[in-house]
Amino acid sequence: MKQTASQTGVWQLLRRNISAGQLLGYSAANAVGLIVVLVGLMFYLDSGNEAKNREQFFSKDYAVISKKVDGIGFNPVTFSEEEITDIECQPWAKKTGRFTASQFTVYGSVTLGGRSLGTYLFLESIPDEFFDIKPKEWNFDPDDGFIPVIINKDYLTLYNFGFAVPQGLPQLSEEIIGSIPLSVRLTGEGMRPEYFEAAIVGFSTRLNTIAVPQSFMDWANERFYTEGEKLEPSRLIIETDALQADKMNSYLAQHGYEKAGDTADEGKISKFLGVVSGVVTINGVVICALAVFILLLSIFLLLQQSRDKLNYLMLLGYSPTIISKYYLRVVIILNSVITVIAICTTLLARNIWIRPLGEIGIGDASIAPIFIVALTYLLLINAINARVIHRRMHRIWHNR
Amino acid sequence: MIDKISLQNLLPRVFRGMEDFDKIRCSEIWLKDSVSLERGCRICISAESGSGKSSLLSFIYGNRVDYDGTLRFNDRNIKEYTINDWCAIRTKSIALLPQELRLFPELTVMENIQIKNRLTNHKTETEILEYLDRLGIAEKRNVLAGKLSIGQQQRVALVRSICQPFDFIFLDEPVSHLDERNNRIVADIICEDASKNEAGIVATSVGHHLMLPNAKFIAL
Repeated sequence: MKQTASQTGVWQLLRRNISAGQLLGYSAANAVGLIVVLVGLMFYLDSGNEAKNREQFFSKDYAVISKKVDGIGFNPVTFSEEEITDIECQPWAKKTGRFTASQFTVYGSVTLGGRSLGTYLFLESIPDEFFDIKPKEWNFDPDDGFIPVIINKDYLTLYNFGFAVPQGLPQLSEEIIGSIPLSVRLTGEGMRPEYFEAAIVGFSTRLNTIAVPQSFMDWANERFYTEGEKLEPSRLIIETDALQADKMNSYLAQHGYEKAGDTADEGKISKFLGVVSGVVTINGVVICALAVFILLLSIFLLLQQSRDKLNYLMLLGYSPTIISKYYLRVVIILNSVITVIAICTTLLARNIWIRPLGEIGIGDASIAPIFIVALTYLLLINAINARVIHRRMHRIWHNR
Repeated sequence: MIDKISLQNLLPRVFRGMEDFDKIRCSEIWLKDSVSLERGCRICISAESGSGKSSLLSFIYGNRVDYDGTLRFNDRNIKEYTINDWCAIRTKSIALLPQELRLFPELTVMENIQIKNRLTNHKTETEILEYLDRLGIAEKRNVLAGKLSIGQQQRVALVRSICQPFDFIFLDEPVSHLDERNNRIVADIICEDASKNEAGIVATSVGHHLMLPNAKFIAL
């Protein structure tokens, strides 16, 4: 006769020894532990420490190099193809990107506080992979006519604290700046000007320039610069191997190159965020481990208190496996509810940092790892509980 | 189906070193070369307290293994049985009424009986009520077992023990707290149920025997 866990009466008998207080204590501890783990992990992923984002943000060092300008030079100081090839071959240069300068006249204007401001500008671009941020709007479509712009964060600081106040202009936040429409006039040699809309979509700490997408720059240089040779790049951005910084510095000195945009601080931020996330996650793991310990102790205590009953049931012919299922069902339901609560809480807590991180182009990590970790934990903890209950039942069967 | 239970040189480990004591030497079971319990048997095992009656039944029921010698069901050593084998044996082949009764005091009389019967689906509720009625405790069916007298508990445990098919039923001092009338009713019920499957009945006592007709008496 096949035994099932549906025999009524048995659970009615066994549940009398279950302490609601013990289960509540375990649930609270486990929920807190799991939430801390998941929040730590989600923050870790969102803050760009996962493998994909590491490629483009924080944990790598970059240097922008240029040649020294002596005296007054009318010929642009640029890197030749041979010089670029030589740099690319250096062991400390993991990846090299070229700054592309605009080869046409750019005039930008903005209406602010009823006053119109306008100035001639320069634009530069580098391949997207070298940006420290990647705003959602970072794309150019000629049919659309919108130019996204990234400027150095220091420019905003200079405006707010160096220019705005003495000029009686308002100080502006990054959000406000992003919402101000800019008008850009592009003029090629002997060509009619064309007008475009533009907006500042992000602030870079890595690049000291007014950057536009490479796709725009290629399109615009093609459209507005028709005569003469294409300009060679005057600046290069290099992803460097921090361990070979000495070699790089001596190479730069030897060739008379100047270095800017060292992102050593970003490496520190990366490490700091990694350490913070790690510490938070480890705390969560410790809390979870303690919670599991509480549950195991509760199970031991419960089975010990119910020992006579369990023994009597086994003598009536109930198998240890079938009796285990009654307890396992409670544990699985409890752990499942805790896991769902932890996932929901983590996703809610994510709202705290998702906006600030989104503004610097990160924070859009997939939530799939959270589900994977939570479900893996659920399976693991249930497996541990099943094992413990099964072993205790067999000990009772054998009167040990 | 178990047709024969064989005991060979059986001795509880607690009696090790006491082989020359009278209670071992005079026993018709302990350390005997060949003792067989056949299906259909009617046996009363009588002995003094502490001579190992309950131990013997625990060994046969697979509840304890602290013995020397060999115990076989048919020709198979019972130490070879797995947990699943024992669960099947305890629901299909061997019934036991333990001396300590092992009722759940927090459950009612009927719940105590059904907790076994739902496992075996052997008796209908009407049949169970008939047994309770014959034993004079039908009106107690919804009373908590813990509230019953020992004699009443003994009768409840008896009904529970027959809520399964069996080849042998072992009754450990089944009428120790019953009067002669109830003794006879218990014997009748057991015999009726055992006769349906030609099952063997083995009852122990310390002097107050179950009134089994044509029973063979063995001294432990």
